[in-house]
Amino acid sequence: MSTGVADHETKHDLPARPPELAMHFDNMHQQFHSGKLGMWLFLGQELLFFCGLFTAYAVYRGNHQEMFHYVHYFLDWKLGAVNTVVLLVSSLTAAWSVRAAMLEQRKVLIFTLLATFICAGIFMVVKYFEYTHKLHIGAVWGGGFNVADADLPAELVAKYPDMTGAKLKEMGAGSFFAIYFCMTGLHGLHVLVGMGLYIWLLVRALKGDFNRRWYGAVDNVALYWHIVDIIWIFLFPMLYLIG
Amino acid sequence: MTEAAHAHHDHHHEGLPGTIGHVTPLKTLFKVLTALLVLTVITVAVAQFDFGRLNVVGAVGIACVKASIVSLWFMHLRYDKRFNFFILVGSFALVAWMIGYILFDTVLYQHNIQEYKRDQQAPAKP
Repeated sequence: MSTGVADHETKHDLPARPPELAMHFDNMHQQFHSGKLGMWLFLGQELLFFCGLFTAYAVYRGNHQEMFHYVHYFLDWKLGAVNTVVLLVSSLTAAWSVRAAMLEQRKVLIFTLLATFICAGIFMVVKYFEYTHKLHIGAVWGGGFNVADADLPAELVAKYPDMTGAKLKEMGAGSFFAIYFCMTGLHGLHVLVGMGLYIWLLVRALKGDFNRRWYGAVDNVALYWHIVDIIWIFLFPMLYLIG
Repeated sequence: MTEAAHAHHDHHHEGLPGTIGHVTPLKTLFKVLTALLVLTVITVAVAQFDFGRLNVVGAVGIACVKASIVSLWFMHLRYDKRFNFFILVGSFALVAWMIGYILFDTVLYQHNIQEYKRDQQAPAKP
């Protein structure tokens, strides 16, 4: 197989051993697919990592359906929907950046990397406003949950006029918010890491570091970014929509 | 065989000679985004009605469809090595197994927990 690949390499008048090819790989194909395999194994692990939290969610929801129904009014589905759209658009720009790197369109690559970074930033800004509001009214994890009746969501009060903050605390609303902050917090941490990675890619793209056979970093970071998107695709309906 | 497959691919897609992998056409990327946005609207719309337990099934079902679309096209698993596809599917299978098994377990022992709670709340016997 290695001789076949060597033919393939000389066919297009590229150097037999490109400078980007690490010494422990036979050729650019092997190097690319090895890196990608590593990334996929990491992403498989990421799903299992989040699985623990999804399981906690499923068990608590199964055992406290009434409480989950009441507290889901604390989450603003409109903000959740905005963030969903922002992440979906960023997934498009991430996939586009891979395409641009493969086609060696340097300007498009820089633009799409920047667009992905900005979308991630918008997501975090929305998250910041959601978090600060919850911390402000005391809609937090565990025994710390203490929401004044005046701070209850209007929609909840309209539907259940005799609902109080103390009743919600009694029902175990604190465990919902523990799950909410763990799940969205871990996801948010992944978004922050993604933002760092896109800065790194941007710096490398500005230096003209990528080409049609050397774009593994752009591809693998995009794969990571899509998994972050997929996790949010599940979090959004589970936390914000179904009560 | 792998090289033959690569050569075969090169025929169909745009891309510079010697490119590694499959270049996804822009049209495909925008179609995928449109599909994902439409499915998001459907998720939000469906959640406005109360279908009881079906709400959860519907929401998670649509999310699964969206996740499949993202992984097949955005993550180009459709054109990638099969092994990567099986890593993802394998992970999802383990996730489903763990959630399913633990839910099964918690339902099975729920009455013990409830009995224990009742005993704790009951007035102490003389």
